Amino acid sequence: MGITLNFSVIFTEIIFILISSLIFLTDKFIKNKNYSFYIAFITLIVGIFLALFTPFGNFTYAYQNDFSSSILKLFVLFGAILITLISYNYLQHFKALNYGEYYGLILFSLVGSFIMLSAMDLLTIYLGLELMSFPVYFLIALNYAYNKTSLEGSLKYFLMGSLGSLFILIGLGLVYYFIGTFTLPEISHKLIEESINNKILLLAFIFFLGGFSIKLSFVPFHMWAPDAYESAPVPITSFIASIMKFTAMATLVKIILIGFNPLKVQIGELLIPIILLTILIGNIMAIKQDNIIRMLAYSSIAHAGYAGLGLISGNYAGYSFSIFYMLVYLIMTIGIFSVLVFLANYKKDLLNIPNMAGLSKNYPFISFLILIFMFSLAGVPPTAGFMAKFYVFLFLIKAKYIWVALLAILFSVIGAYPYLRVLKVIYMDEKDISFEYKYGITFLIPVCLTAFLVIILGVYPQVLTNIIYKTIYLYVNLFFYPQ
Amino acid sequence: MDLLNNLLSWILWFPLIGIVIIFLINRTNEKAIKWVALITILIDFILSLILLLNFNFSDPGFQFVEKKKWLDFLNSYYFLGVDGISILFIPLTTLTTLLCILISWNSIKKKVKEFHLALLFTNISIVGTLCALDLLLFYIFWEAMLIPMYLIIGIWGGPRRIYATLKFFLYTFFGSVFMLIAIIYLYIKFGTFDYTLLLNKGYSFGIEKLLFLAFALAFAIKIPMWPVHTWLPDAHTEAPTAGSVILAGILIKLGAYGFLRFVLPMFPHASAYFTPLVLTLSVIAIIYGGLACLAQEDLKRLIAYSSVSHMGFVTLGIFSLNPIAMKGAILQMINHGIVTGALFMCVGVVYDRTHSRAINYYGGLATTMPLYAALFMIFTLASIGLPGTNGFIGEFLILAGTFLSNKIATTFAALGVIIGAGYMLWLYQRVFFQKVSPNVKNLPPLKTNELVALIPMVILVFLIGLYPNLFLDFMKTSVANLLMNFK
Repeated sequence: MGITLNFSVIFTEIIFILISSLIFLTDKFIKNKNYSFYIAFITLIVGIFLALFTPFGNFTYAYQNDFSSSILKLFVLFGAILITLISYNYLQHFKALNYGEYYGLILFSLVGSFIMLSAMDLLTIYLGLELMSFPVYFLIALNYAYNKTSLEGSLKYFLMGSLGSLFILIGLGLVYYFIGTFTLPEISHKLIEESINNKILLLAFIFFLGGFSIKLSFVPFHMWAPDAYESAPVPITSFIASIMKFTAMATLVKIILIGFNPLKVQIGELLIPIILLTILIGNIMAIKQDNIIRMLAYSSIAHAGYAGLGLISGNYAGYSFSIFYMLVYLIMTIGIFSVLVFLANYKKDLLNIPNMAGLSKNYPFISFLILIFMFSLAGVPPTAGFMAKFYVFLFLIKAKYIWVALLAILFSVIGAYPYLRVLKVIYMDEKDISFEYKYGITFLIPVCLTAFLVIILGVYPQVLTNIIYKTIYLYVNLFFYPQ
Repeated sequence: MDLLNNLLSWILWFPLIGIVIIFLINRTNEKAIKWVALITILIDFILSLILLLNFNFSDPGFQFVEKKKWLDFLNSYYFLGVDGISILFIPLTTLTTLLCILISWNSIKKKVKEFHLALLFTNISIVGTLCALDLLLFYIFWEAMLIPMYLIIGIWGGPRRIYATLKFFLYTFFGSVFMLIAIIYLYIKFGTFDYTLLLNKGYSFGIEKLLFLAFALAFAIKIPMWPVHTWLPDAHTEAPTAGSVILAGILIKLGAYGFLRFVLPMFPHASAYFTPLVLTLSVIAIIYGGLACLAQEDLKRLIAYSSVSHMGFVTLGIFSLNPIAMKGAILQMINHGIVTGALFMCVGVVYDRTHSRAINYYGGLATTMPLYAALFMIFTLASIGLPGTNGFIGEFLILAGTFLSNKIATTFAALGVIIGAGYMLWLYQRVFFQKVSPNVKNLPPLKTNELVALIPMVILVFLIGLYPNLFLDFMKTSVANLLMNFK
């Protein structure tokens, strides 16, 4: 098999890059700044069709479009469409951000995410990671017009991100030195066939994990999250928490599953303290936060930890439910952040939890949505949050890590408190708030869709879990038992 | 639409219709909301009576079984069924919810829409818990119950409601966590969530003990057994009347139901092993609860502590592991639901008028509200266990049955009956007799909705008290079947 340059495989990415460049170039000349939203939105809708109809195949060894990456891309696109909608909603009230660059950078970041999902070698994954992250550093800093600390948040994230890149590069060097290749399937084939010192490969993986930990905000690389989340524009915060984490988790699963498959049990053991600390610290730190975005930042740390539990289990089902967890988290986060965008639009100080007191009196619809998302984040049935946790715990226990599951579930009892506190303030404290508002279509579509999905996935997750599980299962079989 | 074949599903999901309609009603139209909720639950109650009428007394197994595929991947089913143990609780649940709507007709003034939604949702989750035979389904209903109860206590409760509701939520959430692990463990070991397939499986004794403890902790917190009872006085006291009635009337029964349904049949050896422990805890609960009642200054808190004591009788009866005591325990669960529910309603009646729960605030109520005093007397006597009322039958069966298996425990438990008479009669004396307190001089008499809510309870008190076989017949074969494991 020679190197193929099959451009139809990377058609989606080409289109996205062209369109975002077009937005950058023409933005100066167009007065009505909303046009870039329409372009970006249409591009994303078209992107869904492109992702559905792109032929499977390789573009050199580095890039491969297959059913797994197509499905993951569809999930990412789904999230991106909702985020673009809430961005539109947000930018109508925060006009200083409303420039073409905003949507252009989102599209760029999405291309990075696609590259990570499709990449078949470590170097390309690294490049995808950088392409995904850099636009986001800019997007956080864009908020300087409204929030002077956004530079700090952005810089913190950037510095941590650079540290992560450094880790990944060291990992790359180690892998190349000892195996002589970057391609994921070859790494695992070599690991199986030749007796290479596993310890060194494990060390290389630790460096990779360090790099990904920053994107997933695993302890001890979680410090940037609250500052960056708080200082970014609200829709961008949801982008960081949902799409970037989803992509990072899915890619990490791919690296373990295909690249480091023979080491997956050791990797699982290695992850136990990291994941447990992540869950514990995320949950405990969330308790005292008064700013709801900071609270959600810590909760997002904890949720990444729960998703990571699937990686510990070291079996394919566990991995697929890590991805399922991240997907559910993506839906919940976008949902709750759509509501926060609404609040930020009409009364910014409502983002402080104590100021929300009595919200339910005059705004029952908003409060009810928050109720659904909060119980889902806390993992109470019948919501998707429970189902996602349930599956992850199930396969963790199946892998005989009962004590890990027990600790993680106990931490989730602690973790329920911050969400209950928000509900307490909204429903049980009595105060009068009133502000003018209007429900736009760009608000209603994301919240209703996500709230609906949260309930439906809580009652009947079967369809989605089957898709993800079968994808991962077939994917692994394809690489290790080719016909 | 074959009603009888899907009767359980109908009972379970019927309130959903009410929920949807209430969602669509404008929130300012409070009257319509109340009527929709009332009619929905009334129909649900009638459906549950149809269930009672179609019950086959001689069949010890599950009836009205519905089994459909739910989550293939996990081999989990939408699996409902009732037997003699659970059937009586379903009409009790719907009746209690119905009376809750009636009793709070005028007393809930804010967020009327949310209140009725929460009540209907509670009804669904409780009925679901009672008839789910798939462990995952059971767990989902079991946990889903927390959402509406958290809101009911927290939004419409008394001054310390937020502390109480958080305590309630976190306690029960904590308890269920271990049960979840145990359920997952069983699933991984045997590949099914189906309750009927999980019976009579061989575990090593050590594992069985751990599983027993995991399940028992969740149920013990819900009952609540001493020493994990501390959430109950707060939650009961601070909850609004309807919340207290649901908590006392049905919610805490689910713990005991869990023991009967899951713990005893699934882990018979461990249950036998832990019997002395549970009996000791029950006796402590009976006596401690009774003594705590004597020290209370707050009407609701007193009745809440009396629940601890009464539920001690129930666990005592269950773990005596003989048919008489067990039937007594099930009957006592229903009795306690009726009597304590009614007592909370009665307290709610005066609380709505005076907004005070302090016992020494009242005095001489019998002069100002004679009819109310008479009703309260009936429930007081039933709570004490006067012959002719339902309380007597339950306590008598439990003590008679326990005496056959454990004489020491019975002796101590019988002490609890005396303490019970002490605190209830003393309460009655302080509130209803003595000099007429100026605080209660001009209280209006009972309203229609309050009277209508209390009358069915009075009827049930005497019905069970005078003709208990009507109810005992339901559980006879199922209890005998359950105890086969311990022969």
